[in-house]
Order: sequence, then structure tokens, then C-alpha cells
Amino acid sequence: MSFKNYKEKIDEGDTVILYLSNNLHAIEVRPEIKNKKGDMVENVYQTTFGALKVRNLIGSEYGSRVELSKGWGHVLQPTPELWSLTLPHRTQIIYTPDISMILLQLDLVPGSIVVEAGTGSGSLTHALIRRVRPHGHVYTFDFHDHRAKVAQEEFEEHGLAEFVTAQHRDVLAEGFGADLNGKADAVFLDLPKPWAGVTHAVNAIKDDGGRFCSFSPCIEQVQRTCSTLAQNGFQDISTMEVLQSELKVSRRTIPVRDLSFLKHKGSENPVEEKPSSDKSYVVGAWPASTPGHTGYLTLATLPPSFVRRKTKSANSENSNENTNVEDKSNSEEAMAVDENNL
Amino acid sequence: MGDNTIKVGEYIVIQKQNYKKLHKLNKPNSSVTVGKDSLNLNGIVGCKFYSTFKMISRSSKRSKEYDLELTEEAANLIDEIGLKVSGTDNRNIYDDGRSQKLSATEISDLKSDSTKASDIVETLITNSKTFHNKTEFSQEKYLKKKEKKYFEFIQILRPNLRIITETLYKLDPSKVQGIRIDTLSQIITLSNISSEGNHLLYDSGSNGLLAAALLSAMGSEAKGKLIHMHPGNMSQKQALLAMNFDSEHLNKCLSVNVYSALRQVYQGCDTHTQEAVLENESNLKRKAADNIEHESKIPKLDDSQVVDSEVKEVNMDDSQSIKKKPKWHFDNIAAAEVLTNKVDSLVIASKEDPQNIFLELVQFVKPGRPFVIYYSVAEPLQNLYMTLKSSSNVAALKLTCNWMRNYQILHERTHPEVMMNGSSGFLLTGYVLK
Ligand SMILES: C[S@@+](CC[C@H](N)C(=O)[O-])C[C@H]1O[C@@H](n2cnc3c(N)ncnc32)[C@H](O)[C@@H]1O
Repeated sequence: MSFKNYKEKIDEGDTVILYLSNNLHAIEVRPEIKNKKGDMVENVYQTTFGALKVRNLIGSEYGSRVELSKGWGHVLQPTPELWSLTLPHRTQIIYTPDISMILLQLDLVPGSIVVEAGTGSGSLTHALIRRVRPHGHVYTFDFHDHRAKVAQEEFEEHGLAEFVTAQHRDVLAEGFGADLNGKADAVFLDLPKPWAGVTHAVNAIKDDGGRFCSFSPCIEQVQRTCSTLAQNGFQDISTMEVLQSELKVSRRTIPVRDLSFLKHKGSENPVEEKPSSDKSYVVGAWPASTPGHTGYLTLATLPPSFVRRKTKSANSENSNENTNVEDKSNSEEAMAVDENNL
Repeated sequence: MGDNTIKVGEYIVIQKQNYKKLHKLNKPNSSVTVGKDSLNLNGIVGCKFYSTFKMISRSSKRSKEYDLELTEEAANLIDEIGLKVSGTDNRNIYDDGRSQKLSATEISDLKSDSTKASDIVETLITNSKTFHNKTEFSQEKYLKKKEKKYFEFIQILRPNLRIITETLYKLDPSKVQGIRIDTLSQIITLSNISSEGNHLLYDSGSNGLLAAALLSAMGSEAKGKLIHMHPGNMSQKQALLAMNFDSEHLNKCLSVNVYSALRQVYQGCDTHTQEAVLENESNLKRKAADNIEHESKIPKLDDSQVVDSEVKEVNMDDSQSIKKKPKWHFDNIAAAEVLTNKVDSLVIASKEDPQNIFLELVQFVKPGRPFVIYYSVAEPLQNLYMTLKSSSNVAALKLTCNWMRNYQILHERTHPEVMMNGSSGFLLTGYVLK
């Protein structure tokens, strides 16, 4: 339940984040767990610094130090950011740099209604919930039966069930359901064919308008999505990429080589002189290898319906021209339409 | 939220193509400059957000003054004119400056006589020797360029954090300490801001952008408070006001002078006077010389009107403070109480060296809670990193920076945008330990 409210102390059933010199681990606080034979046994968590008796965590304060058999660590209360770094992966997930941008770009605030597909491992979902609670809601869908079920169970265990509904559904084939028509402030898609979800997004978004975002690793997906968005009356369509790099900070002492003495006669003439002194710097070194691509974020605004209807009718007149964008072989036909317009 | 009409007294966003401008609508028929044009806003009040208005030239000849007329939708030159015949490549195009048959005076007459941008451009095209030989791609490019030149529509949008962040940054990144939208978005998440908890912000000059961001993520029904500490005599509030928060929401933000608030915490009573604050302020001014931008230069949005209204508010605050117990007096007491009970996150975006500020303010943060420190360059944060690493009362210490790129997505013409902003600033983040 440690995802719901800020807490001071660890209770049984909490998920805690164990921080061990730059490594993070999520641990569910259960004094006993089932072993292979199905018997309840003492829950002991193994780390590089030795064993942790999970029972001992109960009652200790978040942010405090815990003893391990060969060292110590610290326990933190999970935040969506810490969870993204420690959660069990059932799929590829979205990480904090993209998540942060998604939340801001979708204009989400407490009270917003947001629709998400697919749920995947729930990395983004946790951050969505935090942003829209307490009076907003996240509707998240996955067409993978097991993933949808595990996600819902996880939200319940995390004490977040009242802010989120996880459903098993193929949203591209079936849409988001009639219940959500005109309900959403924002729609987010992280699935292989986002363009096929655009018309469903239009149905789900409120009459007052809303925002759309899709996360796609490949540029071809982005292109199709952008042209479908334009055809469906979205405005301010934009695509961006966000990457974060971590700098390794350290103190470096570097040798100083003096060459000036050579100007003067009389000095001995060594060919190889040892550096004469050192100088110390605090440096931030760029990582030699760092993620170079996660996905493209495509954003768009669906304006309110009073603006939208007109855009739509204008679009249907031009529908030939729009197909032209996707399929060059139609260009003759498109030109014929243009002549009729004159 | 709820209400979707444009109202006097609120901030609006004026969008002309890709250009957005924040404006406070003080009077129903005020004027605002957008680029080189002056727009009279008469008639927009009561219209719905997202409405499109046509810019109607006031007097004929080459005037830059426009009235606005509500219209159904903005025209798109490519749709209106249509591309009829195009060449396959540009082998027959000579850029000799003689392709246009109309003279410059003829064009400017055309401009003042025509009522529609598409008429002007149609005439230009008809009189162009080369347009029809251009490839479809260059024709589109030409129309896009002309659209920009003769476009005469604006749209009025409702401000929100995304638009305010973009607009202020585009105007001048230094007005918001160079905090780019990606970095801002991470400040909000990494500090774990939500409707829960009390949060502490130290901001020495982002025009209220950080306070706006955090207060927006806390929401209108937040249980806790945002303590917005600043070194000046009054806080910068531009972005905060531009969010059009209702007063109940806005009151969740306690904007306090850092000296007054800490004195209140440590010395228990409000021993100082307004003069004392001023004195501190000028001391700091002397010491920090040009590095710190002060309240006296209230940053403006290249719009005298916005600034005027700000100054008026300031004066009002001051005159009230002389008569009865001023608001800042109660805000100090409230802030001190929150600090004494400790807060759930700490965000610092300072122009000063963040080290002292962090070491003082971290004492008010509960164990296990996150902190985020922003600085426009890496070195001060690298030094602080070394200090914190050796003291070992923080966990998961990380120094990061961001890279962000926008893309032009068009059929067979997809590529990264030509201009990109290379500076995101740096974030030092971590969690406070017991
Ligand atoms: C990459 S994962 C999403 C990860 C998620 N954003 C996160 O951060 O944890 C993509 C998910 O979309 C689901 N999916 C794919 N197509 C779908 C569809 N048509 N309807 C619903 N879910 C779909 C897949 O089952 C998969 O779990």
C-alpha cells in the first residue's frame, strides 16, 4: 500500500525500495513466503551485501539505514520514478524522461481523465495515476489477457485501485468502449499501430477537446500516425525525441606538464621530463555508451467539437488529397478534384 | 476549468501560425502587438477558446493595425489555391529575380486592395513564370512561405503549463533560467509532486514558472501547501498568474522571502519589519553584483500592458502592507509552521551557488523524500555532488542533463528540425536519508 500516501514507517504489505550503493531493488514486505514445496518459510532477500531478513523492515522508518549480513543499505518509499527502475518487466517499458514529457504534454492535472493503451508493465500507468489523483482517473487497456490481469492486481496491492481501471481489450479492433465516449481529457497510445487508434481517440476525447500522444520507436509509425491525425481534425501536431544522460561526477587529479623552462639556457635537456605538478578538478564525464533512442513522441490537440466539425467537413472534401499523401499513385485523381473545386 | 469562454481579467494565448503570445486581457478592447502587427482585441470576450479570428486591416494603405472578426476556420493556402500543374524537378528554374512579372509597387497595391491572402497569392502565382514548373514540393514550400507572410488569422487558446513553458522559453530562455520543457517536466516528476503532501521550492528567478509547474501538478484540491521561497522582496509571479488558477488554488502557494521565513522558523517571532527585508535584499544585491537579476527589473513579455498590470498589483500589495498586517506576515507564519512539520519534497532552481541553500533547506525535508536541484551549467552541481557524496546522508544521487529534438514529419520529407536547442540545464537529484 506504500504507493498511495506518504508514509513514515514501513508496514507489512508495503513495497519498499532498497538502495544499495547505486543499485535499487523493489521488495514486497512479507515476513514469510512460500517455498517451492508450498510451505511458508522466512522471507530472506539476497543482495550483493548479504542477506536481508525482510521481517526486520517492518516498523522501521523510510529513509533509514538497514543492516545486511555483509554491509548496509537504505530503504525508500516507492515513487513512480523508483518503481520504473525496479518493476518486474512484463514488456518493454517507458522510463522517466519520456514519462515526464508525456505527462506535461498531455496537459494532465489532478482531476484529468486519461485513457492509456497498452498497459504493458504499468510503468507509465503509475505516473499517470499520481498526476490525476485524487479526483481524476486512468483507464488502461491491454489486449494481453494475463498482463491486464496482473496489472489490475498490482494496482490493488499498491492501494491505487480507486484511481485506475485496467481492462483486457483490443483497443484497435474495439475502441475504448462506449462508456468512455466523450469522457477523456487525453489519450495515450504505446502499441504497434497507433494510427489505427486515432479515430477511437477522437471518440473518447471530450467535446471540449483534449490531447493525444503516441510513443513509437519507428519513424514509419510516426508518419502514418501524423497523417491520420491531420485527417481527423487534430491541430498542433508535433513529434519530438527526449533523451537523458547521466554524468559521472568524480574528482580527477591530472598532471601538469611544464614547457616554459625550455626558453631558458642552462637547464639540462631531458627528452622525457616527468610532469612537474598536478591539478585537481571536479569533472562530469559523459558516458561512453548511453541510450541513443527510446521512441518518438507524437503529440496533437483535438480542438473542441465546435471547431472540429468544420475541420472534418473540410477534410472529407479533401479526402482524395489526403490519401494522396499516403499513396502517390492517387495523385491524378486528386488533381481532378482540385479542378472541380475551382 | 469548466468555463470555456474568454474573460476579461484572465490571461489568454494568442496563436498566429506557430507563434504564441501570452497576454493578460485587462480590458475588452485593448490592443496587443503580435509580431509587427497591432491587434485590437475588441469582440473576443465571450467567445470560446479555440475560436479563430480573421485579422481585418483597419485603414487601407499598409496599415499594421487590425481588428478581429470571428470566423469559422482559418484558410489553408494549399487547400484554397490547390496545386494544379507541377514540374518533376527544378532543372528549368532560374533564380534570376525576374520570374515575377509584377513590380514591387504592383504587389504592395495588391496587398492593400485584396481582402484575402489567397487572392494575393493566386495573383502572384498567375504572374509567376516559374511557379508552374516548380516541383510539387517546392510549390508547397512556396505557399507555406506566402502563408506565413500573408496569413491573417489568429486563434485564442487557454494558457496551460505546456503553452506557458514553451512561450516563455521561446521569448527568452534566460527569463526562466534556461529551464527547457523536458527539464521542467522532470523536475515535476522527480520531486514526486502530487495532490498529496507539502512541498518546498526555492526559486531565485524563473518568472514564477516553477511555482506554476508545481502548483499545477498539486492540483486544485491539494491538501498541502507549496512554499515558494525567493530571495527578493516580492516573488516573481508572471507564469503563476498566467495559469489563471482560482484564488483557492493560488492560495495553496505561500510565496515567502527566504530570510523572513527562516527567521520566523528559527526565532519564533516575526521580529523584522518590511524594511529589514528590504535591507537584506540590498545587501545581497551588493554582494552578488550582476549575477542575480532582481525584482526591480520585472521581466516583461515584450508587452507593456502585461507589465503595467503587474506593477499595479505590486503597488497595491505594498500600500496594503502599510495599513494593516500584510498578507506576507501571515504567509510567513503559515510557511514556518509547514517547515517545522517538515516537507515531502525540495526543489531548488537558484542563480546563486546551490550548495548553501540546499544544505540549509534539506533540514526541512522528511527522510526518504526526494530533492531536485536545477542549475543552468554543470559545475556548481558537480561540486555539490562531491560534497553530498562524502556526507552520505542522501541516496541515489544523480547528475543528469537532457537532449531533445523536434521533427518535421511529412511524406518523404521527414527529418529533424533544422534548429534545435542545445542547452537543457542540469539536474542533481536524490533522496534524503535519515
Ligand atoms: C510496450 S508495451 C507498453 C508498456 C507501457 N507503456 C509501460 O510503460 O509499461 C505495449 C503493450 O501494448 C499491448 N497492445 C498491443 N496492441 C494492443 C491493442 N491493439 N490493444 C490493447 N493492447 C495492445 C501489448 O500487449 C503490450 O503489453
